[in-house]
Amino acid sequence: MSAAGLIAREEWRVLARNRAGLIASALLVLLILVASFTSLERRSAIEADRERYQASTDETFDEQPDRHPHRMVHYGQFVFRPIAPLAFFDAGVDSFTGNTIFLEGHRQNSANFAEARQSSLLLRFGQLTPAFVLQTLAPLLVIFLAFASVAREKERATLKLMLAQGVSGRSVIAGKLLGHGAIALMIGLPAFAVLITFAATGAAGWGSVALMILGYAAWLLLWAALGVLVSALAGRPRDALAILIGLWMVVVILLPRALPEAASAQEQLATKIETEIALHRDLLEIGDSHDPDDPYFNDFKQEVLAEYGVDSVEELPVQYAGLVSIEGERLTTQIYADAAEHQIASEAKQNAFVHAFSVASPLIAIRQVSMALAGSDPAAHYDFLDQAESFRYDFVQQLNRMQAELLPGIGGDDPRISAAYWQQVPRFTYQPRDPLARPDSLVWPFAVLLGWLAALGALAILVARRIGRAAR
Amino acid sequence: MTMTKNTMPALSSAIAIEGLHHNYGANAVLRGLDLTVRRGEIYALLGGNGAGKSTTLSALLGFLTPEAGTVRVCGIDPVADPHAARATMAYVPENVSLYEHLTARENIGYFLALAGAERGRDAIESGLAAVGLAPEAWDKRLSGFSKGMRQKVAIALALARDVPVLLLDEPTSGLDPRAVLEFNRLLDAAREREVAVLMVTHDIVSAVDIADRIGFLGQGRIEDEREASANGPRFDLNALHDSYAHAGAPA
Repeated sequence: MSAAGLIAREEWRVLARNRAGLIASALLVLLILVASFTSLERRSAIEADRERYQASTDETFDEQPDRHPHRMVHYGQFVFRPIAPLAFFDAGVDSFTGNTIFLEGHRQNSANFAEARQSSLLLRFGQLTPAFVLQTLAPLLVIFLAFASVAREKERATLKLMLAQGVSGRSVIAGKLLGHGAIALMIGLPAFAVLITFAATGAAGWGSVALMILGYAAWLLLWAALGVLVSALAGRPRDALAILIGLWMVVVILLPRALPEAASAQEQLATKIETEIALHRDLLEIGDSHDPDDPYFNDFKQEVLAEYGVDSVEELPVQYAGLVSIEGERLTTQIYADAAEHQIASEAKQNAFVHAFSVASPLIAIRQVSMALAGSDPAAHYDFLDQAESFRYDFVQQLNRMQAELLPGIGGDDPRISAAYWQQVPRFTYQPRDPLARPDSLVWPFAVLLGWLAALGALAILVARRIGRAAR
Repeated sequence: MTMTKNTMPALSSAIAIEGLHHNYGANAVLRGLDLTVRRGEIYALLGGNGAGKSTTLSALLGFLTPEAGTVRVCGIDPVADPHAARATMAYVPENVSLYEHLTARENIGYFLALAGAERGRDAIESGLAAVGLAPEAWDKRLSGFSKGMRQKVAIALALARDVPVLLLDEPTSGLDPRAVLEFNRLLDAAREREVAVLMVTHDIVSAVDIADRIGFLGQGRIEDEREASANGPRFDLNALHDSYAHAGAPA
């Protein structure tokens, strides 16, 4: 066996005889398994609730009595977003964005019922997912196991004895990296096994699972390399530990929180109240369809009369109020769409700012990889909003068309159409986006993770060269 | 590859140091050191604290680059080719640094494997027996060992390497008198196998018992050197004490 192999094997023997290290490793493995189990249970419970509520609201909608179609426009529909299969592994922004929208005419409502708003437990302690354990806690354990790997050899002069046996500095560093890299991957192994099992059941795609395992493997290897190299550069094990804990705090705790703050300062988003006021102002500018002197709707009326070749709305074969509703919905939807586009563009600028700085904090990169592949990133939420809005527009306009086309034949003071029509109104079915359909969103974070590993590889070469001098 | 005594180049001096200068910052530690150790010779290098004894060993091991002078071990320059030079040497440090979590047997097995000089179980056991370590201690972790027991393990490791040059840094410190006698017997055996031994020590008595030559290091060079007499007492102890007392003193 090569010297590097022997040194790696010795690191495993050190771990096997280190009771504290073994207990900490066992606890982390247990935590990953508990997090996987509880996350799967939570996902199953939410999915069961969603299916029950969706069926219930659909049934209630279908059971509505004969009504004026415009009342059904305001009765609206609740739509629910199914949780992506891998979101049990990484809940991403799902807990904060909400997964239910009330769709109605004239307005776009935001998503509601975010778990964070309903669970004080979640707000106080955060959600325990395998991703949280791997992203936040696993690096601490890797540091704990690696911080003394080289510094202890220097302090106890065993490094000098190793080199005196003719072992090169390169073999020492390669052996330590190999040993602790393998230990780091062993720490991630239970989570990888859960993902593979999940893919084997057909619940998640192999491509997403493979890339997620690759991303987390790179993340854990990165911390193992940092642990070994800082240990080689530090004079004493306790110095190495202090430096590594400091790095962990900056990379895992500080930067992922400070960068979004900086991004907010760079690209300020309008508050909810400001957005509401701006929308209200824009809606008022459209005009008032009930005002006989309103210039826009007067023009609209003339166009309709000309199109049908009649002189008054009473002569129209369709209900004029229904046509006004169709036109009004088109205009208000455009205003909401413009506002949403502006908001998403601003958020995209903020995200781009944060992601650009993931070079400094690879946690942002692994988080982006993890959320995107789990289908719980902001892009997946926007996709749900897009599909829901598209559905809302079609659903409301269908009812408006029913009003325009069916009511003239009914007449009376309180015209209603048959309840049977409600069952012709389509139901919302969310089509989840394939995370691999837009691989460009994964290129940058993977480049950051691999770039860190390459940089640490270059540092390892420099450290190996000076390790002989450190033995003096 | 480990170089054994059988593959050692035919040189009169296994260790040859000429005009060696080395500074630590502004402090000149070695100032023109000349030293040779022949095959089958035990050389004791004596000197006070800070005289440069350990620096001399570091130069031989290729752990430092001297400012001037040449160093050769079995004809190999340890600065230019430290790995080849280290393959010809076994080294026992002053404060024995072995792994606490490993047993005596595991420590020797591991370091021999690192040196590419795997030995069988019997060879390791006979080495441990030769240094006088009780068999019941062979499979115990070093965390429970005394300094003397660790020293024995380190010496067993160095002898098990079976190389032409042995570097010993204060080898008898921590050993009880009986262990010192056993150690001297091992060095005698090494001398018979044509091994060149350089031991640096404060202990003039142990040097007198075993060394063929004794050099006194002072002012960064060998200030006095005595050779063992073939007849009568090996060394004039009074003269040695006098040389030791004056080593490093201004002329």
